[in-house]
Amino acid sequence: MSDMMVYRGNPFNEIEELGDGMFRLHMGPQHPISGQGRFIILTDGERVFDIEVDIGYSHRGTEKLLEHRTFIQGIVPVERMVMIDTANILMGYVGAVERILGVEPPPRANYIRTIVMEMNRIISHLYALGLLSESAAWNPAVFLWTTADREPFLDLLEMLTGARWSYSFFVPGGVRADIPRGFKERLLVTLDWFEKRIDVIEEAWIYNELFRMRTEGMGVVSRQEAIEWGVAGPNLRASGVAYDTRKNEPYAAYGELDFKMVTHTAGDAYARGWARVEEMRVSVDIIRQAIENMPDGPVRVRVPQRAKPGEALFRVETSRGEMNVYIVSDGKDKPYRVKISPASFRNFFAIEMIPKTQTVLLADAPVLIYSFDPWFLDADR
Amino acid sequence: MNIQEAIEKLKNKFGEKILEASSPRDNRLYVKVSNDVLVEAAKYLRKELGFDMAISAGGTDYPKKNVIELFWIIWSSNDNVTLILKTDVDRENPKIPTLRDIWLGVQKFERETWELLGVEYEGHPNLKPLLLPEDWNEGYPLRKDFKLEPYRAPWGDG
Repeated sequence: MSDMMVYRGNPFNEIEELGDGMFRLHMGPQHPISGQGRFIILTDGERVFDIEVDIGYSHRGTEKLLEHRTFIQGIVPVERMVMIDTANILMGYVGAVERILGVEPPPRANYIRTIVMEMNRIISHLYALGLLSESAAWNPAVFLWTTADREPFLDLLEMLTGARWSYSFFVPGGVRADIPRGFKERLLVTLDWFEKRIDVIEEAWIYNELFRMRTEGMGVVSRQEAIEWGVAGPNLRASGVAYDTRKNEPYAAYGELDFKMVTHTAGDAYARGWARVEEMRVSVDIIRQAIENMPDGPVRVRVPQRAKPGEALFRVETSRGEMNVYIVSDGKDKPYRVKISPASFRNFFAIEMIPKTQTVLLADAPVLIYSFDPWFLDADR
Repeated sequence: MNIQEAIEKLKNKFGEKILEASSPRDNRLYVKVSNDVLVEAAKYLRKELGFDMAISAGGTDYPKKNVIELFWIIWSSNDNVTLILKTDVDRENPKIPTLRDIWLGVQKFERETWELLGVEYEGHPNLKPLLLPEDWNEGYPLRKDFKLEPYRAPWGDG
């Protein structure tokens, strides 16, 4: 019998008995709620004592690949980090490359970028809300609604960029194409319709007694803890920290637009879910302002092939939170080192820390996890 | 806090040990310290200058200089300034005290850097594989001498 045939116990057994009534539960990587990773949960069947997030199942070595590609070739591996949020993720890389090449995109490109990024944020938040409601086992109908509501935006993005997602639309120095004819009218109609849909989602779901009972006071992250653990994005703002990269370090056209930052103070799963619904309203507001105030002019400028030796740090607000890209250049046409710190990587750390500070029940673990809107491909890179 | 004042304070406190301190653009502070004062400098930056939220950590390999340049990126919630704290370690024997006791949020980033660059963070509680397979023994992928050829796809991409 070959060595391969010896049964040594399956490390991916779903449940390991540890004695004393304790179990180690492996949620994932093939669990419906886990995504492309694994949550190792230490439990006595009711209370969760420890959550360990096992990432890396889809590690593609993006940072290493970028060292072997020219700046413009790096677009493709980077934007595949989060397929549902490609525009915001790509903005981080393109922004950092522009900073190290020393170029500014033309104003019109900034406004087009803003519109694409905010549409992407709506798409991503809708998906996150659907998953949160699914994980709360509350009502799968919300997931079907939100999935359907993404469609008009995907169609609009296809009209603008030629693809429903992974558009590779942003390039160093601008965007690939100008707005097509008829886009503005169709966008405004879609936004009017979508605002009514947000009301429906909010009424059916956020104000719903059942959902509130499930999420209120659960998975509380205080302001101090959020800063200490480095929580990112809507989760950070739900804990009362007023940080939004769009406001604090404006990029694209955000500095010229007037919009509100959504903050809550409760810091629980309910606040995190609600913050996302409110952020969709803010996104609609931003898109309206951007399409009305869009300046004329070119959408792309020529950029140099080589960067000067130096370094640049670019922070960007993706749908899941703040991502930063740190590029070191040695004067070649390829980056010497790219460090990408995605939002989910930091949010996973918060998920690991929460059972250490408060009582979490096993039945609440999926709600806790999905209230952070985690994305394994983001953390894996 | 004024960034220039912060640079002055750091230079007064640590003198020659601050190898580099600059602010190339708004809201950015680059500080490079000698690695023997790293922990004291980090404590000073956290307690006195208010840099409280860790947003990244990592390292860059420089085989020609025979060093690995480590960095920690920290944001100040009061002043909205982003700090990039850097230090060099010897490439042959890369050892550095962990900063997770000062900024808890760098814990996972340090674990990742340990795995991908082979930097030993002394005092780190959880140095075990994160992104790579558990039985990986083919070197540190983010070092410059790591060869990509064995992993190249047969159709020649990458």
